[in-house]
Amino acid sequence: MSDDLVARAQAGDQTAFRELYRQHAGRVYALCLRLTGDGRDAEERTQDVFVRLWDKLRSFRGDSAFSSWLHRLAVNVVLNERRTTGRRERRVMSAEDPDTVVGAQHAAPLHLNIDLERAIAELPDGAREVFVLYDIEGYGHGEIAQLVGIAEGTSKAQLFRARRLLREKLER
Amino acid sequence: MNEQELHDAVSRLPKSIEPPRDLWPGIEARLARSGAWRRWYWVPLALAAVLVFLLIARAERSAWDVTALAGRPLIGTTRLAASGRLRVGDWLQTDDSSRALIAVGRIGQVEVRPDTRVQLVVAKANEHRLALARGTIDAKVDAVPRLFFVETPAGTAIDLGCAYTLETDSLGNGLLYVTAGEVEFQTGSHASRVLLGALMQIRPTTGPGIPYVEGAPAPFVRALIAFDFAQRGTRARAIRTVLALARPQDALSLWHVLQRVDPALRGVVYDRLAALVPPPPGVTRRAAIALESRALEGYWTKIQRIHFRMMVLRGVREIDPRTGLAKP
Repeated sequence: MSDDLVARAQAGDQTAFRELYRQHAGRVYALCLRLTGDGRDAEERTQDVFVRLWDKLRSFRGDSAFSSWLHRLAVNVVLNERRTTGRRERRVMSAEDPDTVVGAQHAAPLHLNIDLERAIAELPDGAREVFVLYDIEGYGHGEIAQLVGIAEGTSKAQLFRARRLLREKLER
Repeated sequence: MNEQELHDAVSRLPKSIEPPRDLWPGIEARLARSGAWRRWYWVPLALAAVLVFLLIARAERSAWDVTALAGRPLIGTTRLAASGRLRVGDWLQTDDSSRALIAVGRIGQVEVRPDTRVQLVVAKANEHRLALARGTIDAKVDAVPRLFFVETPAGTAIDLGCAYTLETDSLGNGLLYVTAGEVEFQTGSHASRVLLGALMQIRPTTGPGIPYVEGAPAPFVRALIAFDFAQRGTRARAIRTVLALARPQDALSLWHVLQRVDPALRGVVYDRLAALVPPPPGVTRRAAIALESRALEGYWTKIQRIHFRMMVLRGVREIDPRTGLAKP
């Protein structure tokens, strides 16, 4: 049915596009939230992703799963935005406001994840992005280097740093 | 916390987090402002909405259209000449020379083969339900998942967007063969998922067996059936055969086996499955053996994706059954 939705959305069917949003918003928002470490930024980036998706949808040829393609698009939108603005000022996900991270709608036992989510959000930007892309999203260092615009060695170093910082934070 | 504990904690993080508020209105407004949202689409959409409303209203009348394809099927005690209506509670019965076509509301159709007895149980826009007492039906549904159900004496076939053939005797011995999409078959809390090009045996007491791909080697299929339905001693031998004969294409079978073997054997089954189709990132051996739903779902998504690619691109491109990628 997802293929059918994509085909209909590609043909300009807004209802189908809205259904695509319903199906994929959670996955995209989770990615944006973890990459930005900021609830408000994540909402904006999620909207950016779907606005961009409407423009780019016709270029989707079905060479990969739609969800993978959208995921890649989302990563690019978030990272491009960061490169453009070069800012990371806000940190909504502070230790005092864990609900910003977890929302109130997870099926998973999130109380177990709150500390980890918070710790990820508190990582330095570069370390967090590499950690999210490598350890959570399954990208390789080569891909991350290309996406983020850093050397592969830097990606590995950032990952090492992120893991060390996370272990330290979670042991406190 | 060591590296492994961190890795395990990360693997338990949800892949999806719903935004705290509905972001759609903002997206819609931005698309409208930018002109990307082509407004003329609202006209056919509005017409479509009216049409859908009318169709739903019609479907709510609790009756489906039936057409005789051959012979003279019975609706209740009335012989069907050319076409008629099947109302909730009505039985449709074909003899050895008759066939009929049921329009499943507006979402699909069911061909009722000879010597079949089927009842319309629910005819609502959000639930379409038949009961197949015996015989064979060919169902084809184009709708979101879980709108169309067929009850049999051994359990319920749940449409996940698909086409399939379902046969059963009056006791519940049957076979499910999926020709498009995916079907779930459920008996109590026991369920199997059958992908296109796969089959599954059904039995009255145990319900759904383990699905296997069409064309799987006969000894593998025999061993699966023995594992599903035979006595305990035979099951132990059968599982060894299943693991020995399994190919990457049989990953969908092993995914089910993993959840049905004795806990002590799960590790062996997982290792074989992982050797045939490596798990996706985030799925750990420990989580899969503990049957954690996120790990199982993640693995299933990968198996499903590979399977669909292989089926869809069969004869067009050669697909590596371990990865789903096209071979060079």
